[in-house]
Amino acid sequence: CSGMAAPTMAERKACWGARDEFWQCLDSHGEDAAKCEKLRRAFESRCPQQWVKHFDKRRDFLKYKKKLETEGYSPPEAAGKS
Amino acid sequence: LRRRLAVVCAVAGAAAAGWLYLRHQKERQQRSRRLQHLRQLALGQGDFQLQDTSGAARSKADFLGRWVLLYFGFTHCPDVCPEELEKLSRAVELLERDPALPPLQPLFVTVDPERDDAAALARYLRDFHPRLLGLTGTPEQVRAAAAAFRVYVSAGPRDADGDYVVDHSVLTFLVDPDGIFRDCYSRSRTAEEVARSVRGHMDAYEPLPP
Repeated sequence: CSGMAAPTMAERKACWGARDEFWQCLDSHGEDAAKCEKLRRAFESRCPQQWVKHFDKRRDFLKYKKKLETEGYSPPEAAGKS
Repeated sequence: LRRRLAVVCAVAGAAAAGWLYLRHQKERQQRSRRLQHLRQLALGQGDFQLQDTSGAARSKADFLGRWVLLYFGFTHCPDVCPEELEKLSRAVELLERDPALPPLQPLFVTVDPERDDAAALARYLRDFHPRLLGLTGTPEQVRAAAAAFRVYVSAGPRDADGDYVVDHSVLTFLVDPDGIFRDCYSRSRTAEEVARSVRGHMDAYEPLPP
């Protein structure tokens, strides 16, 4: 049943705030999600599940992008193309 | 001798003037033909048949005579759509400050007609520019509108609650008072940049001859 209404502006901002707090915790604990359990739970309770998935993917992408910028690109060795 | 020189100059001058006049006429005809072609294109290109939040039928013809800034999105959007709509609202506000500029109509077209009916759109758009008008329709009408603007739309898989996100191109389109597409703005442009660009188009605009 997809009768849920879309989040209001206030709900969106609460979700983004919870997400930002969780991400800040990850930033200061070297991506150790175990140290940020409480904030993770708050984030999941404040945001629709679809948004949590979306933001998790965004986080992964941002981390990957940062890695490319700092470490440079090295193709995976298992590619086996020659 | 001086009189002959004067006559030669006068004749040369008249010939040059005549040539310039003929060239000017030719250019005007070419421009007019091109504008006729554009006018035909404008009627066919980027048209839509949708309904606004009061239930009234709206097509592109309803907006002729006004500049339009148009964004495709959906109300269940996690972050991109609210941010783009804030930007759109701010750009319109910046342009409204100049009373010499022609009116600009902000439009929001949903890419999620199943959930975004008139009521949902009205509720969502309340948080943005007061003149921002929402458009929805049947899935076929919305699909046609997105296709007319070459906007990519792809609804994601539904989860246990039936919730889903819709992947879509993030673009704001500028359409002129003749209904001709003039520019598009991506996520990376700021409100100020969009306003500056729209103003540039407005200043350079020449209406199609009737």
